[in-house]
Amino acid sequence: MVLMIDTTGEHIGTQFAEELLHSGKNPAEFELLDITGMHISPCVGCNYCWLKTPGRCAIKDDYEPVLKKMSKAGQVWLISDTRFGFVSYQTKNIVDRVMPLVTMYLKIKDGQMRHVMRYDHQPDFGIIYTGDGDQAYLERWCGRMALNFGSSSLGVFPVENRKEAVSCML
Amino acid sequence: MHVVIINGSPRVQKYSNTEKIIASFAKGLSEKGASFEIYAVSNRKSWDVIRDAYIKNEEILIALPLYVECIPGLLLEFLETLPKKNDHTRISFLLQSGFAEGCQLRCGEEFLKKLPGYLGVRYGGCLVKGDNFGIRLLDEKKQEQATKPYQAMGELFAEGDGFFREEARKFTGPEYLPLPMRFIMQFVFRTFAKKMFQKAAASWGCCTPLDEKVW
Repeated sequence: MVLMIDTTGEHIGTQFAEELLHSGKNPAEFELLDITGMHISPCVGCNYCWLKTPGRCAIKDDYEPVLKKMSKAGQVWLISDTRFGFVSYQTKNIVDRVMPLVTMYLKIKDGQMRHVMRYDHQPDFGIIYTGDGDQAYLERWCGRMALNFGSSSLGVFPVENRKEAVSCML
Repeated sequence: MHVVIINGSPRVQKYSNTEKIIASFAKGLSEKGASFEIYAVSNRKSWDVIRDAYIKNEEILIALPLYVECIPGLLLEFLETLPKKNDHTRISFLLQSGFAEGCQLRCGEEFLKKLPGYLGVRYGGCLVKGDNFGIRLLDEKKQEQATKPYQAMGELFAEGDGFFREEARKFTGPEYLPLPMRFIMQFVFRTFAKKMFQKAAASWGCCTPLDEKVW
């Protein structure tokens, strides 16, 4: 399953959904989530999802169904506007709130400390961005984010490279 | 020197590890005759006041926890509200994290290095240190002990060179844990650390396994 999470002001995710259909992708194999109108608060670092209610976020808003879909997807694509060369705060909030997928327990993997994941399956991550994104930095960040999940980066694409990004989703 | 210190942690100040680190750092500033004012972005109601202090002052220090390899979403939202300034203003950063090794904070540090350029101001360097997760779980006295090393960094900062001096670079500790240490840590993580976390969870009223799958 390919999950696209669109936080952009111009809702560019629809272009990608259309392109996927044109490319013959089965509509049952991808989903576009536009977070417009959804209420998703920032993570406040309360650690409840690790130490009080393991696996569950203490903030009761529209995020949990998003997280559940992310956890089960094969690919998660963050479709984001950019600010300071980085993803928007709306996208960063979605990423910061993934902590319930991680446990408090620790391990050493490839020479670095990591959290033990809560579930057996982890999604790969990719980024599609509008505006003046810092391509090299976004690639580094996406790679590091995936490393924390023990998964892989799918790559980082400016919106103009639509066909290239879509080819990674097929 | 007068420093505007902004706590960039989204966690409420009372339980914020960053807040405790700032307190120790600020003690070091005072020791060297520097003054400061402290704000926290976790309180949205204070954003106008913080922005005003940012505009009126030239020595800014943002202290923050690492959130998924970069800065917390809430701080990113606050930064979007800041107006552009010029290079009379300098922003320095104090970046802290739970993971212990220096290598874990470098991706976040790279973002912070470039951020002042977007805001039109000068970069004053970034003090990088991990291994701070447990601060909130300690009693008050042990919290003071754990954050004590930051006092010397406050004294160093008051001398005016931001975090560019060798002492600040060394403060990070090892970039990677040495191999024998990794073996020991792996053993500790599987045994004592698990028990310690379970105990901490029990004291928070948690009675389910910490690795429970909820779906």
